[in-house]
Amino acid sequence: MDYVIQQSLNALSFGAEYALLALGLAIVFSIMGLVNFAHGDMIAVGGYTMVAFVAMTLGNPLIVIFAAVLMAVLASVTLERVAFRPVRYADPTTGLLTAFGVSMVIQNLFLLFVSPRPIAVTTLYFLDWPIDLGGISISSLQIFETMTTVIAITLLVLFLKRSTLGLAMRAASVDFEMVRLMGIKANRVVAMAFAVSGLLAGIACVFIMARRGSVDPTMGFNPVLKAFVACVVGGFGSLPGAVLGGFLLGAVEVGMLVILPQSYGGMKDAFVFGIIALILVWRPDGILTPPAEKGDKI
Amino acid sequence: MSRPLLNALHLNSGQRSGLVGAALLSAILVLIGLMVMWFGERYHLRIVYSAYVNLLVVLGLQVFMGNAKITNLSHSAFMGIGAYAAAICVTPVQIKAMSLPNAPWGLNAFQLDPVTSAAIAIVVTGLIALVVGLLIVRLSGIGATIVTLALLVIVHSIFLHRTDIFKGKQAFFGIPKIFDLTSILIVTVIVIFVARLFRESRWGIRLRASSDDEVGARAMGVDVFRLRLVAWVLGAVILAVAGICYAYFLGTISARPFYFTHVFLTLAMLILGGMRTVTGAVLGTILISFGLEGVRWIETGPDFGLVDLPELLGLSGIALGVVIVATMALRPGGIMGNREIEMLFSRRQD
Repeated sequence: MDYVIQQSLNALSFGAEYALLALGLAIVFSIMGLVNFAHGDMIAVGGYTMVAFVAMTLGNPLIVIFAAVLMAVLASVTLERVAFRPVRYADPTTGLLTAFGVSMVIQNLFLLFVSPRPIAVTTLYFLDWPIDLGGISISSLQIFETMTTVIAITLLVLFLKRSTLGLAMRAASVDFEMVRLMGIKANRVVAMAFAVSGLLAGIACVFIMARRGSVDPTMGFNPVLKAFVACVVGGFGSLPGAVLGGFLLGAVEVGMLVILPQSYGGMKDAFVFGIIALILVWRPDGILTPPAEKGDKI
Repeated sequence: MSRPLLNALHLNSGQRSGLVGAALLSAILVLIGLMVMWFGERYHLRIVYSAYVNLLVVLGLQVFMGNAKITNLSHSAFMGIGAYAAAICVTPVQIKAMSLPNAPWGLNAFQLDPVTSAAIAIVVTGLIALVVGLLIVRLSGIGATIVTLALLVIVHSIFLHRTDIFKGKQAFFGIPKIFDLTSILIVTVIVIFVARLFRESRWGIRLRASSDDEVGARAMGVDVFRLRLVAWVLGAVILAVAGICYAYFLGTISARPFYFTHVFLTLAMLILGGMRTVTGAVLGTILISFGLEGVRWIETGPDFGLVDLPELLGLSGIALGVVIVATMALRPGGIMGNREIEMLFSRRQD
């Protein structure tokens, strides 16, 4: 029984991380149909910001965390302005490929101007200490991560339901043209979507950094790949779908670790992606399909 | 003129201009190859050979992606399957006894001649593509792309995990080096004709129509799934050929080159040239191959006498990324758009 609870908690914290990132992808996709593969590089931006602040001997963890999240938001908004505005009304494939390109540029900029090798950042290790709950040992980080995700999702829901801009964003995901006819500026809605997406990536970055303790140029790639998968499985563009997909992916991943014998450890990703592919064959549009009637986004 | 005859003539003219275009492209590619063979040094030969392997990959990618307009990210995996299948068949038993002592199913107990090995590799890749394709062709858009992505990850993990067959991260060595630039020139010319004729064939035209308007094409009686499957398998076969050419030239393969870096490189080539045409595939490959060689030269920090540039690792990656972003922003259809090479010479430019 302890074992089951233990693994469920693990699945929950894995899932929380994927859900955070998947939400960031979904919120942008729902509004402008862009699969933002450069999302993972916002994590790297946050990570390198931490390196910079630690190097400037501003090692106060609060300042470091704040700066990392802020930079992720700024980078996300900047990217929208520079790279994604020209392809805003293009088809998803064009956007996807643009995002691949952007991602390559950012990763190689870090490679060129910082270092191809990992850089250690130990400032956030203090977030991680073992907690023993009657036989179940978990890390404090898992609790923080799950709770932060819950809070972030709650705030996001409040923002989307209660504020005018949030309402505009939800409306834009159904019919962007109509929203613009109502006098809402398209640029503001899209910029806000990217800001929220950057914020979520920044939060995820804090936890990823606390766990791995180092940055390298391609650190955002694997998390965003998983988030991408979570999004598609949940139903691309559906925000509840992204959260569901994230937690589902976390569960599948932990399940695979439990079920697969040790010698097959290297095959975990193969099985996870295999299951994901089968889910997609079963439901090509994902589990929680977003509204089919999307207005023309022109 | 009666309507059926008109239709027949129309088809023929498309295919005729396809033949002309393929011949023009082949002439250019053979010319480049001959120039390098006559004037180039040894390392030029290697660079050009690998550019031609990439060209084969891009052509294989174009057959499915260009005609069905579904972004494929698994092409390097199929190239890898082809390369490994041929390598396992063709490598001499003595070397396999050393490098693959624990191979299952007696994989290290036989040895075939290169042609049979290549044929087996093509059939194996084609069959795998057929099975996977049955699942992929039913999806469209982002869903299909994510499944191809999953496929890439799965194949790569298998290459890495089954070290008893594929040697994983280590090199699979001892493949006879039987290909040179002449052989790949011949293969390239054949593949150019195959890709171009497929594009102009009945199947190709219908598939392209379905990619522009899936519902419309379906309403006209086009079996979209079946056509996608045909293109998918044909593409995979071309990719297998690319993998075989790669293995037969280098003599050593490993799992690493068949992963994301290569996927993005070849994708960038196709996008820059224009994925809807065979000419675009060729043009993009040539431009990026030559361009990257230039960038790599700067990357190593050449000495200009007055200015000594430092080493600039990552410059080629930045260049590649900028090319993709710029192409998407300025010319989403790529340089060629919907035009094939022979249309540049004909009077009617549309």
